[in-house]
Amino acid sequence: MKEPLFGEFETSPHEPHMLGAMQRLEFPMRRYRNEEQVDYCLVGVGSAGGVLLQRLSRAGFSVVGLEAGPFWDTERDWVSDEAGSHQLYWNDLRITGGKDPLALGANNSGRGVGGGSVHWAGFTPRFHPSDFRVYSEDGVGADWPICYEDLKPYYELLEREIPVSGPPYFPWGHPHGYPYGPHPMGGCGDILIKGCTKLGIGVSIGGPVAILAGSHGERPHCIYRGFCIQGCKVGAKQSTLISHVPDAIEHHAEIRDHSMASRINLGKDGRVTGVTYFDSQGREKQQRAKAVIVCGYAIESPRLLLNSACPGHEHGLANSSGTLGHYLMAQGGNVVLGRFKELVRMYKAPPAHAMTEEFYETDPKRGFARGFAIQTVGPLPIAFARQMMVAKGAWGWGMRQLMMDYNHWGAIALLSEILPWDDNRVELSAERDHRGIPVAKVTFNLHDNDKKVIEFGKNKVMEVMYAAGAEEVVQEARYAHLVGGARMGNDPRTSIVDKFGRTHDVSNLFVCDGSILPTQGSANPGLTIQALAARTADYLISQGTAIFSKSTRDMETPSIRYDMSPPDTWGKGVPRLK
Amino acid sequence: MSRSERDGGPIDLKTGKPLQARTQPGYYPKFKTMSQKAFWDEATRKVVLERVEQIPPIRFFNPEEATLMAAVCERILPQSDRDESHKIPIVNAIDERLHKDRLDGYRYEHMPSDQEAHRLGLKAIEEIAQHIYGKSFLNLSPLEQESVLATIHDGQPPAAHAIWEKMPVSRFWLLLVSDVVGTYYAHPYAWDEIGFGGPAYPRGYMRLEGGEPEPWEVHEKRYEWAAPEGSPSAKYTHVGGSPEHKGSPGQGGTH
Repeated sequence: MKEPLFGEFETSPHEPHMLGAMQRLEFPMRRYRNEEQVDYCLVGVGSAGGVLLQRLSRAGFSVVGLEAGPFWDTERDWVSDEAGSHQLYWNDLRITGGKDPLALGANNSGRGVGGGSVHWAGFTPRFHPSDFRVYSEDGVGADWPICYEDLKPYYELLEREIPVSGPPYFPWGHPHGYPYGPHPMGGCGDILIKGCTKLGIGVSIGGPVAILAGSHGERPHCIYRGFCIQGCKVGAKQSTLISHVPDAIEHHAEIRDHSMASRINLGKDGRVTGVTYFDSQGREKQQRAKAVIVCGYAIESPRLLLNSACPGHEHGLANSSGTLGHYLMAQGGNVVLGRFKELVRMYKAPPAHAMTEEFYETDPKRGFARGFAIQTVGPLPIAFARQMMVAKGAWGWGMRQLMMDYNHWGAIALLSEILPWDDNRVELSAERDHRGIPVAKVTFNLHDNDKKVIEFGKNKVMEVMYAAGAEEVVQEARYAHLVGGARMGNDPRTSIVDKFGRTHDVSNLFVCDGSILPTQGSANPGLTIQALAARTADYLISQGTAIFSKSTRDMETPSIRYDMSPPDTWGKGVPRLK
Repeated sequence: MSRSERDGGPIDLKTGKPLQARTQPGYYPKFKTMSQKAFWDEATRKVVLERVEQIPPIRFFNPEEATLMAAVCERILPQSDRDESHKIPIVNAIDERLHKDRLDGYRYEHMPSDQEAHRLGLKAIEEIAQHIYGKSFLNLSPLEQESVLATIHDGQPPAAHAIWEKMPVSRFWLLLVSDVVGTYYAHPYAWDEIGFGGPAYPRGYMRLEGGEPEPWEVHEKRYEWAAPEGSPSAKYTHVGGSPEHKGSPGQGGTH
């Protein structure tokens, strides 16, 4: 076909706000005045914030979500282009340092409604039962204040709400299946399967990923264009923007975009009274609220709480433990690149589509605690060139020549556990951003166990790449994901929030996002963050107005609610699974 | 002497002669991602066409810096195998990023701002050229220019020590190369060169396995060529001489 049947694709100027190719968002949205005391003010409408906003508004609470970035219209704002997607990431200044500094921005930090779930590759493995008791089992890291069984029903629920596509039987951790069927393979998936099979390593094929293998409600299935981390214009890959936010708007939640929170305000009674923020015009404003939930992820959440220091909380709000910003984690994410005689064309198909967790658990024979996963990735040309700039030191004619072979290269990657360490931190820098808010300084150092897992894991991934038939194999060290910085725990002396995300120090202040994770295993954290948000929402809903007035805390876990999901959750997918 | 030899240009291995400049280098003859633009969504088409058709003016670099930067970029990603009308403009895009202060969301401690880093880097490159050859970088042959840059790549610059006290050598190198490749491989000409399918919404891809082309893509047709004799950039050696470079630039969230 030389031309599209009905001519060049155009967006009608009269199109409503689009979320994906088919879903129209019905406006107008409820607007609250600054003076109105809303029930909940959320800071950040990302993976956790989107789910919370939807749950709390559906339960009838008045909710405002402050979001630093835009409220995306996916048809107008997103592009099927690598360089053109720069706006999806948190691009404001941060300082990164330590012995093993983390790359931030596009590497791990989202901005705009949907947050990180807009640019994640979409892998959605659950954490293993062992992840919740790392300290008890291995004597390192930390235990969670909850166990796998506490989160399991929420994993199952979110796997339906997202919904997740994957194999009918996923054999690692707590074995389970998925509501939507697995995806077809792309070049990198075939490489992973071939290499692993030769070495006798089991592989999960076609998921688990938050990408639709079949259409769902107003969301079409995947078209395999490979631009997942540039934002899915199709609407096949889940972000809370397309899965939960429409239901929140429908239930009268307000999302105030381009609104950057600068501090949380504390009243004389020691309870928070609302949030100070800069609006889209750069004007400083305050939103009053009966309770505040910080959902800004592992760097911005600690930064906001540190910037909210006030009398009685001199070292940052809710930081009586002195651990705010500490125990920041990433995962080892070395990319292993292999050149094949045949063409691969790894730009097709979602980067995330096959994985193995065969090496996830501690194996005493290996001489280190915990383990790693191996997953497919699919770097587009710019990402690939930058990987080669490091992996091979390529530049000049060498870079030009190597890039002409882009289609001969395939990529798979390590995802290894890095333990929580006190010296890996988010602190405030002496520098300020353009609004005058002190910026975050991130310090990161690998410790002995982390280095051993990465070394072993990297070599294993390279072995798989060679076994798949690659004639040349190179790798680039990098890190994936961010969690920690405001961890949850039972002991107020060593953690920031309790098992429901409530800060130990302030009874109407919560943190709910990746920053509350005490450890993160070798699983991508997105699903767990959304599951935790749904669990916190159930707790808040069960508590009713008690959150807004009482300072005593009820630590009873409410039962899970199956009536709070967005529409289209039930009766969809492959019926063979309960 | 042919133009290519004078330039230290690449060699056609079939003939042993300098490689002719082409409209489209690479192994995918006649493959044109832009020929598919009617199949792209409107927002994407707009962004890509703007990139190709509207070259931003130089506003950040002063004229001397811009000239030097152009010469540096031509060595970081040489384009002498491209004919004049199909060269990919690099400096203007980097200049625009710096002018508009479009950051990547972080700065390494011990590094100055991206703007200052690029300015200092150009000064250092000129100082190294003067130190080794007693001439301006602009007056060196391509291979000499490569040798100057190779000292930075290797983490062993023989001059400009005051500048390297303000910024680590390898961090500057990665910033520079990152900016250049981020511009080159964002251009449809580069996609045609490497056989990348380009934007694919709303159409998508159907042939996912076995490296098969879509009906509108083309099969690979290789030609053998080599970098100029003695080109330091043709040898793949690790940045700063170390195989593990700690904390390289972010790459768009690989996973």
